[in-house]
Amino acid sequence: MAAHTSKAFLSLGRLNVSGFGLHRSVNRIRYATLLSTNSPSGNKGLPDRGSRGAFARKPRRDAGEPRTEKMAVDQDWTAVYPAAVPFRPSSVPLPVRMGYPVKGGVPPEKKGNLELIKIPNFLHLTPGAIKKHCEALKSFCTEWPSALDTDAKCDQHFPIKVESREYLSASPSVRNPSARIVHLKVKLSSLNLDDHARKKMVKLVGERYCKDTDILTIKTDSCPLRQQNYDYAMYLLTVLYHESWKTEAWEAEKTAADMEEYIWEDSPSQKNILDTLVRMKVAGEGEELREELLRRKEVQEYKDSVTRLKNEGESESAMLQYREAVKKILNL
Amino acid sequence: MCQIDLQIMAIHRLSFRLRQTITHVRSLHSSGCGRLQEAVATESEPEPFSVFRAQENDPAHQSQKHVGQYYTVPPAHIPSLFPHGLPRRYQQQVKTFNEACVMVRQPALEVISYLKKTDFSKPAVRYLFYGLKGSGKTMSLCHTVHFCYAQEWLVLHIPDAHLWVKNCKELLPSSYNASRFDQPLQATEWLRNFKITNEHFLSKLKTSQRYVWTKREFTEEGRPLGELVDQGISRVKSSSDVVGAVMKELRLQSGQPEADFRLAVAVDGVNALWGKSTIKKEDKSPVDPEELTLVCNLRKLIKNDWHGGVIITTLSQTGSLYTPKSAYLPQELLGEKGFDSMDPFVPVSVPNYSEKEFESCYLYYIDRHWLQHPQSQTEDGKKELIFLSNRNPSMLERVCAFL
Repeated sequence: MAAHTSKAFLSLGRLNVSGFGLHRSVNRIRYATLLSTNSPSGNKGLPDRGSRGAFARKPRRDAGEPRTEKMAVDQDWTAVYPAAVPFRPSSVPLPVRMGYPVKGGVPPEKKGNLELIKIPNFLHLTPGAIKKHCEALKSFCTEWPSALDTDAKCDQHFPIKVESREYLSASPSVRNPSARIVHLKVKLSSLNLDDHARKKMVKLVGERYCKDTDILTIKTDSCPLRQQNYDYAMYLLTVLYHESWKTEAWEAEKTAADMEEYIWEDSPSQKNILDTLVRMKVAGEGEELREELLRRKEVQEYKDSVTRLKNEGESESAMLQYREAVKKILNL
Repeated sequence: MCQIDLQIMAIHRLSFRLRQTITHVRSLHSSGCGRLQEAVATESEPEPFSVFRAQENDPAHQSQKHVGQYYTVPPAHIPSLFPHGLPRRYQQQVKTFNEACVMVRQPALEVISYLKKTDFSKPAVRYLFYGLKGSGKTMSLCHTVHFCYAQEWLVLHIPDAHLWVKNCKELLPSSYNASRFDQPLQATEWLRNFKITNEHFLSKLKTSQRYVWTKREFTEEGRPLGELVDQGISRVKSSSDVVGAVMKELRLQSGQPEADFRLAVAVDGVNALWGKSTIKKEDKSPVDPEELTLVCNLRKLIKNDWHGGVIITTLSQTGSLYTPKSAYLPQELLGEKGFDSMDPFVPVSVPNYSEKEFESCYLYYIDRHWLQHPQSQTEDGKKELIFLSNRNPSMLERVCAFL
């Protein structure tokens, strides 16, 4: 058994060494010296096992001091962990502890800690390592156009923004179904829409439009491939645009309840105020006098205050404005 | 005469009490009373009863300098003017203190000043008191109604329109209009109170057309209005129609140039007219307020197509149905339809007590020996009261009730 295990150690050590090209020679020497010192003692300790023959225990080497003791503070870490490798306690010079604390104590240390080995680590992706990656990739990249240096210019020249996500995971398959989702964002102010078209567009898209930022977001995920979803999103945008410019016959039946905001003309409020003014005999009867009444300053103020009350919702200041307007009209 | 005697006795009692409490009250109240001439740090003895009381008991003569002070409603007016108008807790307070003291506040003064300047040839102007719960809307309405009463106007006071849209024990289909419903009990009660308030007008005014109630009962043209009202009180079945007839008569007649009376319509809780109701028909479907005769007639009265009077209303969330507790602004409580019907109206905001008004109320309670707890008379106690009630009149009254 001993022989087996020592052989196993030896082979492991060899494998590791092959990964670390630079330190190969050093390690080999170390392992070799260990072997030489240990072998006599191993043989001495098991004289009665000699009958086993092939299974005579191989001398076990003592572990030397860990590499972390020899690491310089300003060493090149990318050389220690150049690729994704499981956690090696003797190569990471950090006093990390992980696991459930021993009773009345602290989490177990990193040496021989399976928890640290099980979890994925990103020791190979330090900022320095990323910088090196970027430097290496730079030669394959194209330069950002110098004319597009501000966000505003980007919005102006490229109003449609398409967003999609890539997913990487360590698994047998590189496919991820969430990668097919495409978000298409566009500001309505950058589209050529007149008043009616804009209102119709907002009604057609419903929840997808955000009033505060004026951005229409179309999310497509019905097709299996990203390319297909992107085409579909562009198609939807085109159709929305053209449909909102058209006026259907049934749009003439739009009622006051469908209106997006309160319009004072032809509202009960306008009728009320005109009737009141007529009854007050401020001016006589007649159609043209209604027009004249409407043009009066007090009536305009009243109209503003009522529109503000209905559109913006209620508040003390809006109420006060309404009160002043009514007082002026009624000559109080 | 008896009023003056009462006043003199009140003066004696007050001055006696005030001398007892003068050391406490002096430094506190000299800034709190409404007398603007008095400097803050005077040590002079204030006059016996004008600390927080106004001298002026007639609402017509009250002005800005009386703001924050209490005036007493003459005891003779109370049973005739307010058989049903005052808030319940205030009625209890009146009984306890043996006097009805109303605080003069800015919103009521404002509306009274408009009322004084009204031009009765123009359509009736509508005023709406709105404010947080318990801030004094109903009391402001009562103050204004007292003014109208003192000016010898005809007061049509509906104490709470919400009572007409809920808890109706009897609902009859209307004989006049088949799609509507009558509420005989509420109508008779209201007619009774209306009669008490406007006794002397009812004999003077005459009906302008013939009303037929049933096959055998009718009221001829030219009969005094009192007879109409009596008809409604005695014949319970047709009382709702009588209410409608009374309203129509008053509306038409107040606008006539030869009418010698002014009509003041006071409605508390006007948002009930356009809200929802909890009354159900026999098949358990809800009744729309529009289908109730009383509500229908009242809505017609509130429209401003008549002249010769004013319409004063308040909003009320307390009795209203299906409205959130935090709603107090006009549009929230009136709704779209209500706002469009009331438009254009003058909204008057009724805020919580100001510092001065709070002082005045506090001193009044102390004077009436309502605050018995020894700590309530200290500075700290006062701060605690301010904190607990947030200067809200009804909260203050409820908190002080325990002390």
